[in-house]
Amino acid sequence: MRILTRLSIRLATTVLVLFGVSVLIFLIARIIPGDPARIALGPRASEAQVEQMRRTLHLDEPLFAQYAHFVGDLFRGDLGISLYTNRPVTTDIAQFLPATLELVILAGIMMIAIGLPLGAISARYRGRWADHVIRVLTLMTVSAPSFVWAVVLVLLFSYYTPLFPIAGRIAETITIPPVTGFMLIDTLIAGRWDGFLSALHHVFLPAFALSLSGIGQAARLTRANMIGTYEQPYIEMAQAYGFSERRIAARYAFKPSLIPSLTIIGLDFAALLGNAFLVETIFAWPGLSRYGVGVILQKDLNAIVGTVMIISATFLIANLIVDLLVSVINPRIRYAERSE
Amino acid sequence: MTAQDTLDIQNLRLSFRNWSGSVEVLHGIDLRIARGERVALVGESGSGKSVTARIVLGTMQETPGARVSGRILFGGRDLDAMSRTERRAVRGTAMSMIFQDPTTALNPVYRIGTLVHEVLKRREPAITAEEARRRGGDILREVSIDDPERVLDSFAFQLSGGMNQRVMIAMSLINEPQLLLADEPGTALDVTVQAQTLKLMRDLVESHGTSVLFISHNLGVVREFADRIYVIYRGRIVERGPTAAIFEDPRHPYTRALLAAIPRLTGGGIPEIAERSDSFLAPMVAHEEVMG
Repeated sequence: MRILTRLSIRLATTVLVLFGVSVLIFLIARIIPGDPARIALGPRASEAQVEQMRRTLHLDEPLFAQYAHFVGDLFRGDLGISLYTNRPVTTDIAQFLPATLELVILAGIMMIAIGLPLGAISARYRGRWADHVIRVLTLMTVSAPSFVWAVVLVLLFSYYTPLFPIAGRIAETITIPPVTGFMLIDTLIAGRWDGFLSALHHVFLPAFALSLSGIGQAARLTRANMIGTYEQPYIEMAQAYGFSERRIAARYAFKPSLIPSLTIIGLDFAALLGNAFLVETIFAWPGLSRYGVGVILQKDLNAIVGTVMIISATFLIANLIVDLLVSVINPRIRYAERSE
Repeated sequence: MTAQDTLDIQNLRLSFRNWSGSVEVLHGIDLRIARGERVALVGESGSGKSVTARIVLGTMQETPGARVSGRILFGGRDLDAMSRTERRAVRGTAMSMIFQDPTTALNPVYRIGTLVHEVLKRREPAITAEEARRRGGDILREVSIDDPERVLDSFAFQLSGGMNQRVMIAMSLINEPQLLLADEPGTALDVTVQAQTLKLMRDLVESHGTSVLFISHNLGVVREFADRIYVIYRGRIVERGPTAAIFEDPRHPYTRALLAAIPRLTGGGIPEIAERSDSFLAPMVAHEEVMG
C-alpha cells in the first residue's frame, strides 16, 4: 500500500518533469541558429520550396501553436519525420535505442557488480595494501572521462593487442533477424550461441569503457560510506558477538552502507546515457547517442526533440527504479509512518 | 579458588603505540569475578574501564597499535593462549556484551527476529528460523515483553529505547553465557527506564547464574546491582570491596569524591569536587572480602 502511494507520487512528478523537459528542449531546439527547412532541403532548393517546407513543419506559426502541434502528435505516438533520415523519428528511435540501452545496461551492471565489491573490499581492508591499490586505481578511473578510457582501451586491446573487435555489434558473417533490437537477446531467440558470444565480445569493451568512471565512483562512495558504518555501535556489537570479519563486512556493514550509495549510483547510471554519446562514436556503435550527435549537427528539430525526450524519460525511469530500490532496502523509508 | 572464578585478571596492562612513543593506559589491573558474581568497575570517563571490558572480550587486541600484557583467565582457561579463532568462538557464546545505547547497537536494516536468529547461530549454526523465533519469543517474554511476536517483526528504530534495551539484554543472555560484560548499560536512556531495565537484568542474571562485569561511571546505579565494586582511576584500581563496605566506609579519597558526585534529591546544589587531586593517586585500598 505505502509503496504504491509512493510510487504514484513519484510517477506524477516524473510526468511533470517530462513536461518541463519537453518545453525546454522544444524551445532550445528552436533557438539554435539556422533555418531547419533550409538545411533539410539543401542550398539549391528554391525559396518557394523552403516556404512550403516551413508550412508542413508548422514553422510559420507562433511558438505556442507549434508546441500544441508537437504535444498533440506526441500523444498519438508521433514524433514527426526526421529530416536527416527521412523516416519517422519513432522508427529511428526504435532502431537505435535498443543498442544504446544494451550498452548502458551492461555498463550499469558492470558498475554495480565491480564497483560495490571493490569499495567493500577497500573498506574492509582499509589502510592495507588492497585498499591502497583500489584507491589509486579508482582515482584514476574517475579522473578521466569515459571517452578518454574508450580511446585508451581501443588502442590497448583492439589495436596493439587485437583481443577485442574495434567496432560494430556482432561479427559481419552473422546475421540475426531483429526482434527486440537487443543483440544479446535476439541471438538467443534465434538460437545462435556463436552469435551471442560474438555480440558479447563486441559489447564488452565499449561497455567497460563506459562504466569505468562509474565503477570508480561507486567503489569510492561505497568505501566512504562503509568506513562510516564501521564506526557505528552495531558493528562493534557484531564484533562483540564474535561474527567473523567476513560476515560483518558482507552482512552487517555492507547493507546499511548501500543506502546512501544507491541514490548516487542511480544518478551515475543515468549519466551513462549522456557519456554514451562519445563512447558510441569511438566504437562506431549504432546507437541512439550516435544518432543524436548526427541529428544535432543537422539541426533536425523533430529528431533532436525526440531523442532528448527519450533520453530524459530513460533517465527518469532509472531514477524511479533506484528510488523504489532504496525504499525496499531501507526499512526506515518503508516504515516511515510507523516510527515516531 | 581460581578454578571457581569466571574471570581472573592479573596485572593487566594496556598501552598504545603511536609515532611519538607509547602511552600506557592501564597500569596493572587485578580483578576477579567468581561464578555467578556481579562485579562493578566504576570510574570516570577515560579511566580505562571500557577498554578493560574490551580486552576481556578480545576486540581491543585487534586494534592496531594496542599492546596488552598480563593474564586473563576465563573459567580457568588462559585467553591469551587461545588462537584468534578460538577467542572469537568464545565471544557471543560463553561471553557476551551489552552496550551503552541499545538503539544504535542494533543493526538498523535487519528485524529483531533476524538479529536474534544470527546470535543463536553463534552457538547452534544449524538452527532454523522457526526454532530461533520460538526461542527468541521465550527470552523476550523473560525480559517482560508481552508481545514478542510484534517485537521480533520490528526494526530497532520502531521500538522505544527501553524496549531495545530489553531486546539487548535478551540477546546477550540467549546463548547462556558464563560472563556478561555490561558497558554502561542504559546510560543513553532516561533514568526511570534505566532503573526498570537494570532491575530486569539483575533478576535475569541471578536466575541464569551469569557472572557480570558491570562498567559504570555512576556509583549510584551500581549500588543495587553489584556484589562487589572496583573503583578505577587513571588506569589503576584505587579501591575494591563489597558494595556495602564501599558505600558505608569509602577509604580512598577518589572513592569519596565519586560518592560525593552523586546528585542528591534533597538538594545542596552541585557538589564541589576537585578536578584532579594528588590524594587520588594514593595507594589502593582493599576491604576485607568474604568470598563465596
